Amino acid sequence: MIEVTGLSVVLPPAVVAVDGVDLTIRPGEFVVILGRSGAGKTTFLRALNRLVEPTAGDVRLCGRAVTGADATTLRGLRRQIGMVFQQFNLVRRASVLDNVLAGRLGWAPALPTLLGRFSDDDRRVALQCLAQVGLADFAARRADTLSGGEQQRVAIARALAQAPSVILADEPTASLDPALTGSIMDLLKRINVQRGLTLVVSQHQLETALAYATRVVGFRRGRVVFDGPPAALTPPVAATIYAEAPAP
Amino acid sequence: MKRGTLVIALVVLAWTAWDTGADPVRLGRGIPWLLDFVRRMLPPDLRVLPAALIGALKTVEIALLGTAVAAALALPLGFLSARNIAAPAVLHPARATLNFFRSVDTLVYALVFVAAVGLGPFPGVLAVVAYTTTSLAKLYSEAIEGIERGPVDAITATGATRLQILRYGVLPQVLPLFLSYVLYRLETNIRAATVLGFVGAGGIGFYLQTYLRMIDYPAASTVLLVTVAMVMVVDAISSRLRARLV
Repeated sequence: MIEVTGLSVVLPPAVVAVDGVDLTIRPGEFVVILGRSGAGKTTFLRALNRLVEPTAGDVRLCGRAVTGADATTLRGLRRQIGMVFQQFNLVRRASVLDNVLAGRLGWAPALPTLLGRFSDDDRRVALQCLAQVGLADFAARRADTLSGGEQQRVAIARALAQAPSVILADEPTASLDPALTGSIMDLLKRINVQRGLTLVVSQHQLETALAYATRVVGFRRGRVVFDGPPAALTPPVAATIYAEAPAP
Repeated sequence: MKRGTLVIALVVLAWTAWDTGADPVRLGRGIPWLLDFVRRMLPPDLRVLPAALIGALKTVEIALLGTAVAAALALPLGFLSARNIAAPAVLHPARATLNFFRSVDTLVYALVFVAAVGLGPFPGVLAVVAYTTTSLAKLYSEAIEGIERGPVDAITATGATRLQILRYGVLPQVLPLFLSYVLYRLETNIRAATVLGFVGAGGIGFYLQTYLRMIDYPAASTVLLVTVAMVMVVDAISSRLRARLV
């Protein structure tokens, strides 16, 4: 599904955020990228759809090259990759439905959308996705009137509206009340199981990773230091992932 | 260092006072004349009220039309001069052009347009458009530079085109600010448009200047009162609308 070879990202001025990562993610997996903050998880996820431009290496989605793709091809690939962010990244002043409809932008004809028009089909898809995250009654509300947990659900509905084959979720619960972590992770898991979508979720919490992942990839200082099922993630391995970075 | 700056500032100010002939004693001697001027304006001559109201309406029209056209023209310019949107090759020429045209005031534009298209409210509208377009473009671009990056990332990730990203990631964040700036500009343009008549560009200023020239102070005071009322009404409506936006 996603093949990553030799991926490196150097952020300006000269921070090596991702350092030669090789990783193959198979269809239907629920992969948790586990690591301390600053381990390169966010940069890794953002490099997969080139929100951050990789410095070296290759990313392929279903066999098609993401790295090096021209603008049009890249847009076509991006719409297959739903993305959920730590800060939700909704347009606060827009309605919940408009936020979810934005997920259709990659598919809808460009000109009408610039005038704010979406087809009935697009609206139906958006409403279905809202229903799936349990917010069917919130369509007309302004996004910033919702609670944090609800806003993240809207963001997940937006990603679903893309009809993607994979969803990348970058620390989706880190800005939420810890009590809400379970409900958001449950929702992602349900999407994974019911829709058969591939999920790649970054997390800094070990317990959450163990509870939901079918596969855990441990990141430390931009490198993969563990890759295996949750059962294989023994306390010594966890200690390696979370070890203090030695002073440079 | 700080004291040195203060001394320099005081010296500069003292020199400007000397060079402009600023003289409190002279102002004191002028006060009786000021009072005489005010006394001769009273009571206002209400027979010219209909003319003053027509002039006020023209002024409001000039400001409204000019501001509306400028609000639209400034849109592309605002995006082209926003650091986080435009490529440097476009950004710098766009900014330089805006700065150049913004350094000239509405009244000066009015002089130019009266010479170009003749007397009346139309050159006034053109003058308002010329100045307001550049000043709004500047305000727009600053609003665009202040947006949150997050929603733009999210829209980009959906596979949206560049224009769709602007429409769905940027525009919703800045539109309320844009509208608020437009209303603010409308308020200042009403004020600017009151003097456009002085140079033949229509509106209430034409009446004020005419009556002052005819030394008909009671008539002039009616025009002034109408001007004050007009500005206050527009300000009140506009600030109420602005309060709803943010």
